[in-house]
Amino acid sequence: MKYVIIGAGVAGIEAAKVIRNQSEASEIVMVSKDTFVHSRCMLHKFISGERDESGLDFTEKDFFEKCKVNWINGVEAKKICPQEKVVVLDNGETIAYDKLLLAGGADSFIPPVGELRKASNVYGLRNLSDAQAIVEEAAHAKEVLVIGSGLVGLDAAYGLVELGKKLTIVEMADRILPVQLDAHAAKEYQNRFEKAGVRFVLGRKASQAICEADGKIHEVILDNGEALACDLIIVAAGVRPALACLEGSGIACDRGVTVDSCMKTSVEDIFAAGDITGRSGIWPNAADQGRVAGRNMCGICSEYTDTYAIKNTINFFGLVTLCVGRILPEEGDIIQVKEDRSQYRRAILKEGKVEGILLQGNIANAGVWQYLIKNRIDVSKIQKDIFDINFADFYSVDAKGRYIWTS
Amino acid sequence: MNQCYGCSTCKSADKPLEEYIAGLSMETSHHRVESQSTKCAFGLQGVCCRLCSNGPCRITPESPRGICGANADTIVTRNLLRAVASGSGCYIHVVENTALNVRNTARSKGEIKGVDTLNRLASMFGIEEEDVHKRAEAVADAVLKDLYLPEYEKMELTKKLAYGPRFEKWKELGILPGGAKSEVFHGVVKCSTNLNSDPVNMLLDCLKLGISTGIYGLVLTNLLNDVVLGEPEIRMAPVGLRVIDPDYINIMITGHQHSMFTFLQNRLTDEDVKEKARKAGAKGFKLVGCTCVGQDLQLRGAHYTEIFDGHAGNNYTSEAILATGGIDAVISEFNCTLPGIEPICDELKIKQICIDNVAKKANAELKEFDFDNRPAVTEEIIDQVVEAYKARRGSVTMNLFADHGNDNTLTGVSEVSLKKFLGGTWQPLIDLIVSGDIKGVAGVVGCSNLTAGGHDVLTVELVKELIARDIIVLTAGCSSGGIENCGLMTPEAAKYAGPKLRAVCEKLGIPPVLNFGPCLAIGRLEIVATELAEALNVDLPKLPLVLSAAQWLEEQALADGCYGLALGLPLHLGLPPFVTGSKVAVQVLTEDMKQLTGGQVIINGDAKASADILEKIILKKRQGLQI
Amino acid sequence: MKRIMIDYKKCDGCKNCSAACMQAHRKTEGTIYDLDLTDPENESRNYILKDSQGNYKPLFCRHCDDPECVKSCMSGALYKDPKSGHVFYDETRCGSCFMCVMNCPFGVLKPDTVTKSKVIKCDFCVEAKEEPSCVRSCPKKAIYVEEV
Repeated sequence: MKYVIIGAGVAGIEAAKVIRNQSEASEIVMVSKDTFVHSRCMLHKFISGERDESGLDFTEKDFFEKCKVNWINGVEAKKICPQEKVVVLDNGETIAYDKLLLAGGADSFIPPVGELRKASNVYGLRNLSDAQAIVEEAAHAKEVLVIGSGLVGLDAAYGLVELGKKLTIVEMADRILPVQLDAHAAKEYQNRFEKAGVRFVLGRKASQAICEADGKIHEVILDNGEALACDLIIVAAGVRPALACLEGSGIACDRGVTVDSCMKTSVEDIFAAGDITGRSGIWPNAADQGRVAGRNMCGICSEYTDTYAIKNTINFFGLVTLCVGRILPEEGDIIQVKEDRSQYRRAILKEGKVEGILLQGNIANAGVWQYLIKNRIDVSKIQKDIFDINFADFYSVDAKGRYIWTS
Repeated sequence: MNQCYGCSTCKSADKPLEEYIAGLSMETSHHRVESQSTKCAFGLQGVCCRLCSNGPCRITPESPRGICGANADTIVTRNLLRAVASGSGCYIHVVENTALNVRNTARSKGEIKGVDTLNRLASMFGIEEEDVHKRAEAVADAVLKDLYLPEYEKMELTKKLAYGPRFEKWKELGILPGGAKSEVFHGVVKCSTNLNSDPVNMLLDCLKLGISTGIYGLVLTNLLNDVVLGEPEIRMAPVGLRVIDPDYINIMITGHQHSMFTFLQNRLTDEDVKEKARKAGAKGFKLVGCTCVGQDLQLRGAHYTEIFDGHAGNNYTSEAILATGGIDAVISEFNCTLPGIEPICDELKIKQICIDNVAKKANAELKEFDFDNRPAVTEEIIDQVVEAYKARRGSVTMNLFADHGNDNTLTGVSEVSLKKFLGGTWQPLIDLIVSGDIKGVAGVVGCSNLTAGGHDVLTVELVKELIARDIIVLTAGCSSGGIENCGLMTPEAAKYAGPKLRAVCEKLGIPPVLNFGPCLAIGRLEIVATELAEALNVDLPKLPLVLSAAQWLEEQALADGCYGLALGLPLHLGLPPFVTGSKVAVQVLTEDMKQLTGGQVIINGDAKASADILEKIILKKRQGLQI
Repeated sequence: MKRIMIDYKKCDGCKNCSAACMQAHRKTEGTIYDLDLTDPENESRNYILKDSQGNYKPLFCRHCDDPECVKSCMSGALYKDPKSGHVFYDETRCGSCFMCVMNCPFGVLKPDTVTKSKVIKCDFCVEAKEEPSCVRSCPKKAIYVEEV
């Protein structure tokens, strides 16, 4: 049996591990544009110079040897031919497969504003190659403009602040991290970034950007007419599943590759996992999808059930935040807030259940919140301050010493 | 399977004793060490506070203050002051009873055995009474008067007893004690809930309590005892479980108040009482020494050769002494009477009698010592002991250990007998110190505990290390009992000493470790030190003299330790006194104390490392004296 | 694998396990007597929780069969040792994202208090090559090691 995995992100790597565990003898080929296996969540550490390429690797030492994976890197899958069961690479070669996993991830989305898509000094921050290019460009850039203040935008800014660049961040919403945080928690980070010299322009979007003779954009005009000078632009406006190579393959796509709960695509023997499906969003889920896909590729029926992905942790300037579930209050919610000089906590409750939690400053032992929210556990009977709820309130231990949630 | 109660007993410096205890069919404290080996870390560091209903509060990185706001420094020093006040109270209780007994003896024209000591005290106190009994009464009254003074009135005898330069230092530090009993009161008030929170202020109180404890509880108790019980005389005596002679009705005595036994001791050798023993089938009565009162009796053994069989062992040997089956009754008046002896006494039908309410044991009959009614009470006690003998002998298995200990332990050493031995002057000792034949002097005092390596383990190992470095060791307390049973107080022990000290010992026929007796005799060590300092015309901290309470056990030891610090002496402890949770307490006790009084606390549980540190200090002090 | 078993009914809440854990992981040399109980760098990897009735519930890393912390680790710092079955943490690889903290369903993990750059995680005291310190320190034998 020959397994081919497109993509060397966490979904692909996890799938390879599962396949190797199941089948000692089969052939596993991994194809990726990336020449280093790297954790996207740590790209800012590369930009700041804290880590080099190899420091971003999340696999164990000698992973490809140990796992016996033939990794063909630096090439891109150009075309999938399900009839012939081959993948065509950008170097003209073809690779045959018995089972194929599409785990090629996503590409940064550059909005069609002015000539952003055309300019040579505009980057997303998705791959190590982006980070490498940013570092190169930043070497002779003084002013950096970041469009978007989500986690990726702030990651990029956090890395560049370390390098002493003058940074401006433009955000459409009226606060930073609008998807993850409420205004109060967002302000804490905004203050810290501002203290580090970053300027935020909130509630504004770029409306015009023209390439100059050098092929670069040196000024971006905002929707209020304000002009922002820049030598380097990082666009953090989200990602789109990398579907280019699927054209003509007949594999069904909507936002991303359409998959069932077994991560199977519409085409026999082809599976997909991770950002290419458009339904993972965050690392643990992508990893889980990779494992589910890998098992199914080996003929073991397995389903991706823990789809819960409305969760994030944030850590800038040593200020940690955990947010799980709903951020925006709705009618009928009970909102509980506690704040002191070292932490801010906010819980959204509805009908005795926690629907959203936001913990900033102190996230110690906070793992239980995801479980409570995800599983819609009724906490109304617990005679405790909401923020004092912990595993003790659901505690039991089985004969093998495993903790079991009970209520 | 055998009959042993449990095979996991703790180590003992006294290996035969260790084996004996391991083979016992009854539980002893040595068996309980392992099951109590998990110690609460907060307790160990002294950062657990139970002073109010909000508690117990404990200090952790997440909770650096108790609910009330007390930090580790406040909690630790409050706990320490509480312990020191309590320990001081114990010693003050002892000196109070002793002084009362002297006064009662004087008033009833009883025997004054130590006239020399009486005269010494009278002259120090400025008492000029022709009549010996009136003189004794006046001396006792002077002590009692001081004890009963309020806290705001300084005690008068402090100045008369303390070494001049020390008195001035204490005055300068503002730690001259008021009435000794009131100082205990003051101490416990100070460390109660939400009162004092100033760690240094409380540590100074500890020193003040140390002074009243030392001068009254220690020094004066010894001297008052000498007045009515007789002065120590140097002699050889048997020690260990071997002293128990099953042909006699044996009474084990425990406690600290020798003067409470005087009447009983005398009666037990009267013909009519001996006849009671003979009728019961015994040759007579014997007292078997245990804990400090046993040490005290051993010290004055020259006066009690008929009734006293010898000292069998210290606090944590008491269970083994009882387990021999040879003891018919325990008469106790104070600590260190372990609660753990009770089931053993029950099992072996040993009669327990307490003669001081403060140390009433659960199983014991309380026959409070009452000076006026002492003939009647003593008679009752004797009859009960005889009854116990009759009831138990024959029905209780004997497990004697006749080989244990030795027959030639040097005892009877005191500030007077030692000086007399040296020819009536300290000069020979000073010459030996100056010449370096004796590098220095170490007072190894205090108790035995079971956790600093095991029973007497650190004490004995440290003593061996010290004498090997030509440092002569003087002992007082239960440490004496352990060291003597291990044979280090026999003249033959000279072989363990360094070459110079060994030569001195062999020439004089003395051991390298000199036994001053009970913990109270720490006061005698202080007199020796003071007289040496006087002879050299220097203050105490200048002497090449160190103290170690290597295996300190209890609150009294902490009060003693505070006296040592007030005297300006380096004080080694094998285990920290529950203070290490406070940086301020540790800093003050181990470092700043050097500037305050000249003293310092050294905490080290390793015998060799401790001896290295103490030797270094001694060498530094020698340098200071340019010797 | 070996696991620290918990008989929570025996727990008295003395926190000796926590102090022992701090002692086992302190950076300086020393004994339990001089362990600085006010230094936030000394952190316990175990916790004594209380339920709303006030019962003590010891929270110790389970070194799970299918560890969520490992599955959520984006740096490779957390891994389940195939030999011992224990979940280990390589501080040098950690990206300080704290996804593991969020994903441990029992709330065992936390960021370090002082630098918020690493995870405070039980290492089963493997370096000591003895039973874990917490287990050895428990006066009630409420925690003990068993092969599961």
